[in-house]
Amino acid sequence: MLYLLMAVPLLFAAVIATRPPEHARWIALVGSFVALGVTLFAMLQFSYAFGGSTQLEAHTPWIPALGVTLDVGVDSVSLLLIALTALLGPICVLASWTAITWQQRTYYAWLLILQTAMVGVFAARDLIFFYVCFEFTLIPMYVLISLFGSTNRKKAATKFFLYTFTGSIVALAGLIYVAWWHARGAGEWTFAIATLGETARQMPLSVQMPVMIAMLLGFAVKVPLFPVHTWLPLAHTEAPTAGSVILAGVLLKLGTYGIYRFVLPFVPEAVAVAAPTIAVLSIIGIVYAGLICWVQTDVKKLVAYSSVSHLGFCVIGLFALNHVGISGSVMYMINHGLSTGALFLLIGMAYERYHTRSMKELGGLAAKMPVWATFMVFFAMASVALPGLNGFVSEFMCMMGVFQADDAWAAAAGSAAQVPGSTPGPLGPWFALAAGTGVIIGAMYVLYMVGKVCFGPLVEPAGHDQHAHGDGHEGDHHLPADLTPREIWTLLPLAAGCLVLGLYPSPVLDTIEPSVSNIVSLYDDRVELPAMMPTGDTDAPADRPAEVMP
Amino acid sequence: MLMHSAVQNAAEAVVGGAVSAADAARAFALPEVTEGPWWVALIPFLPLLGAALCGLCAAFKVKSKLPAWITVALLATSFAITVAMFQQLSGGASISHAFRWIEFRWGPEADQIFTANFSFYADNLSILWMLFVTGLATLIALYASEYMSHEVGTGYCRFFAAFCLFVFSMSCLVLGDNLILLFLGWEGVGLCSYLLIGYYYKKPSAVAAAKKAFIMNRIGDLGLLMGIFLTFVHFGTVEYRELFALAEPYVLALQQGRIGDIPAIVNLIPVLLAIGAFGKSAQFPLYVWLPDAMEGPTPVSALIHAATMVTAGVYLIARTYPLFLASDIALPLVAWVGAITALLAATIGMAQFDIKRIMAYSTVSQLGFMFCGLAVLTTAGGVFHVLTHAFFKATLFLACGAVMHGFAGQLDLRKLSGVMFMPGWLIVGLAMLVGCLNLAGFPFTAGYFSKDLILAEAFITPTMAPIGWILLFTAGLTAYYTFRVFFRVFVGPKEFHPGDDAHGEAETDVEEHSEQVEQGNPQAEAVGEKAHDVGDEAHGADEAEDHEHGHGHFHPHPPGWAINTVLATLALASILAAGLYFIGDKGWVDGMLQSSTAQQVYLTQEGTRASGYALVTAEPAAKGTFLGFDPHKAMYYVSAVVGLIGIGVAFVLHYLGRTEAATSRADKLLPAMGPIATWAQDKWRVDELYDMVIVKPLRVISHIFHVIDKLIVDGLVNLFGVLPRMIGSALRPVQSGQLQGYAVGMAVGLAFVLLVVVLMAVAGAGVAS
Amino acid sequence: MQDVLTLAQAGGTPPMAGVTLAHYLFVSAAMFALGLVGFLVRRNLIVMFLCTELMFQASGIALIAFARYHMEMSGQTFVIFVLTVAAAEAALALALVVLLFRRRDSLSTEAWQEMRG
Repeated sequence: MLYLLMAVPLLFAAVIATRPPEHARWIALVGSFVALGVTLFAMLQFSYAFGGSTQLEAHTPWIPALGVTLDVGVDSVSLLLIALTALLGPICVLASWTAITWQQRTYYAWLLILQTAMVGVFAARDLIFFYVCFEFTLIPMYVLISLFGSTNRKKAATKFFLYTFTGSIVALAGLIYVAWWHARGAGEWTFAIATLGETARQMPLSVQMPVMIAMLLGFAVKVPLFPVHTWLPLAHTEAPTAGSVILAGVLLKLGTYGIYRFVLPFVPEAVAVAAPTIAVLSIIGIVYAGLICWVQTDVKKLVAYSSVSHLGFCVIGLFALNHVGISGSVMYMINHGLSTGALFLLIGMAYERYHTRSMKELGGLAAKMPVWATFMVFFAMASVALPGLNGFVSEFMCMMGVFQADDAWAAAAGSAAQVPGSTPGPLGPWFALAAGTGVIIGAMYVLYMVGKVCFGPLVEPAGHDQHAHGDGHEGDHHLPADLTPREIWTLLPLAAGCLVLGLYPSPVLDTIEPSVSNIVSLYDDRVELPAMMPTGDTDAPADRPAEVMP
Repeated sequence: MLMHSAVQNAAEAVVGGAVSAADAARAFALPEVTEGPWWVALIPFLPLLGAALCGLCAAFKVKSKLPAWITVALLATSFAITVAMFQQLSGGASISHAFRWIEFRWGPEADQIFTANFSFYADNLSILWMLFVTGLATLIALYASEYMSHEVGTGYCRFFAAFCLFVFSMSCLVLGDNLILLFLGWEGVGLCSYLLIGYYYKKPSAVAAAKKAFIMNRIGDLGLLMGIFLTFVHFGTVEYRELFALAEPYVLALQQGRIGDIPAIVNLIPVLLAIGAFGKSAQFPLYVWLPDAMEGPTPVSALIHAATMVTAGVYLIARTYPLFLASDIALPLVAWVGAITALLAATIGMAQFDIKRIMAYSTVSQLGFMFCGLAVLTTAGGVFHVLTHAFFKATLFLACGAVMHGFAGQLDLRKLSGVMFMPGWLIVGLAMLVGCLNLAGFPFTAGYFSKDLILAEAFITPTMAPIGWILLFTAGLTAYYTFRVFFRVFVGPKEFHPGDDAHGEAETDVEEHSEQVEQGNPQAEAVGEKAHDVGDEAHGADEAEDHEHGHGHFHPHPPGWAINTVLATLALASILAAGLYFIGDKGWVDGMLQSSTAQQVYLTQEGTRASGYALVTAEPAAKGTFLGFDPHKAMYYVSAVVGLIGIGVAFVLHYLGRTEAATSRADKLLPAMGPIATWAQDKWRVDELYDMVIVKPLRVISHIFHVIDKLIVDGLVNLFGVLPRMIGSALRPVQSGQLQGYAVGMAVGLAFVLLVVVLMAVAGAGVAS
Repeated sequence: MQDVLTLAQAGGTPPMAGVTLAHYLFVSAAMFALGLVGFLVRRNLIVMFLCTELMFQASGIALIAFARYHMEMSGQTFVIFVLTVAAAEAALALALVVLLFRRRDSLSTEAWQEMRG
């Protein structure tokens, strides 16, 4: 099933290569819809009651001598992220419909290949396979940016490639070290993620620490966490619209997914020690990137920096090391993909019409493009975590997780029963408050953008009026003033997603819960407060590790 | 009830031995919670449906008043359902579950489930609030159907969609059975306020005002959010039903003077919640957004920024009153903030010239009164004032709106005079008079009674007497600035200068004309006078037409049936609201609240002594007095006198001897005031202060960060990129491009390798031998 | 160097009296040196190419000499390969040289310095 899911886009990419360029976008559209269909089918096959265990597994040996396999399988979190990838597939194709007018075959083929690689990352249950897919996402992205980006694309593509590549090499070193440790102990090599996780957890803290640092370095670049975020604004600004959507929607999630899948379960002791440091970096990222957003003049760069800020919430939620924080973080991965992806789409649509992204040249577009402005305000509100839209659920949960997660709660109150809503953990209310300032800053920069671009007196770039408007002819540079039905249909699924996840997130929360429980259970026995002992928290892990990623 | 008592037991167990079974005296009566009827959920969801329908109207480009009628019909239904619920409610509380929202397991224990559902908590407090929210919303929607008529088209749909969305959010805020749903409504009304303030989105000032409102609110919201987190951490729940039961032991502890039993967290929670309330209800120091919010259409100002949304802070405090009672710092804080706000806003209001802005400052000031009311433990007074204020302030705003509508956006009280006696304006003028009398606290009006309750209780509460004096002084100022507007605009010599726009849609030709007027062109004024004489039969004409005719033919545009009906209804309601004071023992509101969690609570004497603040005790001996008299009785006379003095001063300064719109006797006093008047007119320069102290530095920091990001953070990375390149360029000359060069290199290298091999061989041979 | 020579002299019976392995190696070394010097000092592409051929053959001689000396065929096999490859390469190289000459009307290596860094 999962192989099929990976094969479909590849197959259609191959078809594109053999057909004339005019057909490319149609084939890509069909391909991405087929992939979406297969994903939906996979989601139906999935047993949500056992969402914490690996399902839909398939085994294929690859390099038997080293124990490397092509094993795949998904738990609920992987499944949801695959679903997000599959959903963004057709949207990306549709978003490029008129924007890409040259080398269409190259473009759409690489777009599909990218999808395969991304699904591979989420589905892989073998370390080497994971890593191969993880790195392989770089190549299509490099091509998309360097061939189809804007003016500074070469530099951006190179920087993106080298930066993230360097990071993941370090992460690979850390992961290989774990495999080596396992081989030394067990006498044979294996790269099965579940097995390695168990080995890694038995490593002493002094060994876990460098392994964690190595892994984090790699994944933090991808996330990107302050201070290794500088590739992102550049890459986002230069990438074509669909590239930005995928970059924001899925590629950044590879970093947080890596942390979720490797860092948290592999080296819990080291993570518990390092969590406050990471949290501080996240908070710096949230505030710092947020403030930088506020002084941008390039809309796309603003949204790119906002990604840095948002992903800070995502990471700090992960490092709260409790249910609420981690669930919130996983929700955040999905929600950010929807809302920020949509914002990039909207900016791309405006760019296609005006050929500028500068806020000095764009203003008051609500007068000319009311539908566009409506969507813009909607997704901007999703992005500032307005309750009722998806961003709120995740941001709220991340912050609440951080707020709860303080050993000091129970210590100060004398017993955990006095503060029944607290959990043990390394962070606490001050971290939540500091991260919370990001909520205000978020409102500041998003409203600054909306106020400039959507509202106020109409400003259009000089010489724009010559372009024909309203003739309904759908060719390059002859788009009507407001959105076409195609563009509206591109945005509607995302808008619906934002609304549904905002008003009725329970199914998703229930789905990710078992997977998150697996990870949190690793941290439960960390509690050392005597007051916590009789409450029964401590016997929970005893019956849990058995089901940790079987 | 079963579950309820279980929670109760748990709560008492939590406080440990502190609360022994013997003194199981209740701090307050917890209402009996029953399962409510499903149709309560319709109260919020009908407006949501309305929003969706209006959205569809926009999508299908409906060019009629259909959205307004949809809105009015659905809101009226909502109101009817609220009334039905009111009928059915008998003291207890009921919860109607709609659907799961945020519900997840957050710990390994079976009961560690975080629950925040779409469930609606209907008790006397929330239904009371919903009655006037849905009732006023219906009336104001009707008013807006006429007021916004020149916007028919997509703008009309947009307006009513946001309007419906607002009512939905407000209903969630009020009816939600947990703090998270309250927060949804809280931010939702913030969004709607943003959308509606920025309704005239082409006007940069409107956009800026909308942004300011949203961000200021967000600051408060962060406090609220932190308060919610703290509540959850401490109590393990955010649902009112469980929360109030869990809070009770602490209230009891405070009442009995066991301050030590109250953890710091419990003390802090209401403070954080209050910060949220300050943001939403425009209290000091977060009040600056509300006057700017007047950029929105007037119905919006009336509904959102006067009657309902801004009272959300009051509602929050009243709703979570048990939590506030459990803290010995929160209510005094609320009282002082309220009093400072009331005074500050009143002084600013006295010096403004824009009538809508004056009303905005008076709203801020009156909200301060309400906060004080809650803080001096007269929830009945606070909530009664919310209720009366909702009616008379809506009346005032809508009357101002009618003036603005009729005079092409003119709001300057120096440019309008004697409006009431112009043909067709009598109802507006009378409604305005009713509103002003209420606001000024004229004897036997509703505003008079509700204000008295607050003032009297402030004097009764021992440590709160200074609050009482501040409020009394403010009441005098209020009467003055209210009647300043009335005497200048509605009575006196007839004169008017039309405004410069049609509700924000600036049209250049009109602007030119109004400039002429501003320069004091006497001829144009004369024509204006004449125009209104001939133009009264043409008031049904399309407004755009008026502008085409230009100023020469401008005639004021008296309100039509919808506006007049609504104004008359509201004015009547404002008058009748006074009757509520005489229903029951201590008034209808008090009777309602006594069977909700926002009931008035009395401390025992130990409690008063131990907590240092507080509050009314049951024993008369501890009661404060007003200069030796019983405050409740004295206040009837004192506040009436204060109000009449205020009105009298306004009469003397702004009515007597005034011959034209622009000047009055008050102008002669200005030099004597020195800089104070200018400063008050400049709103004490608080905006400028914020700009200088917060916004500008933050902006500078942001720019610095941006530079740092480019140069240092990214620079370091680029440095790593540059390093290999530098090494490469250092080695570049070696690549001479000449074939022989490479050959020499190769030969030398080969020779070197050979040499090494040979030497090693020699050395090896040496070792071997 | 002395060591190498004694090493050579010490081993096995010389197949041809008087002419030892050393002689062959001397010839080979001399040819290689000639080729190398020629390659380094001349600028004419064809001459340089001839010099490389010279070096090839020098190594060939050394290989054959050692093969004979060790009574083993692998060295001679190698030489056959080298000759074949050299022949093919000669054809290719000369063709290239002709092409290069056509481009610049010169056989000097100095005409081609495109790879200067």
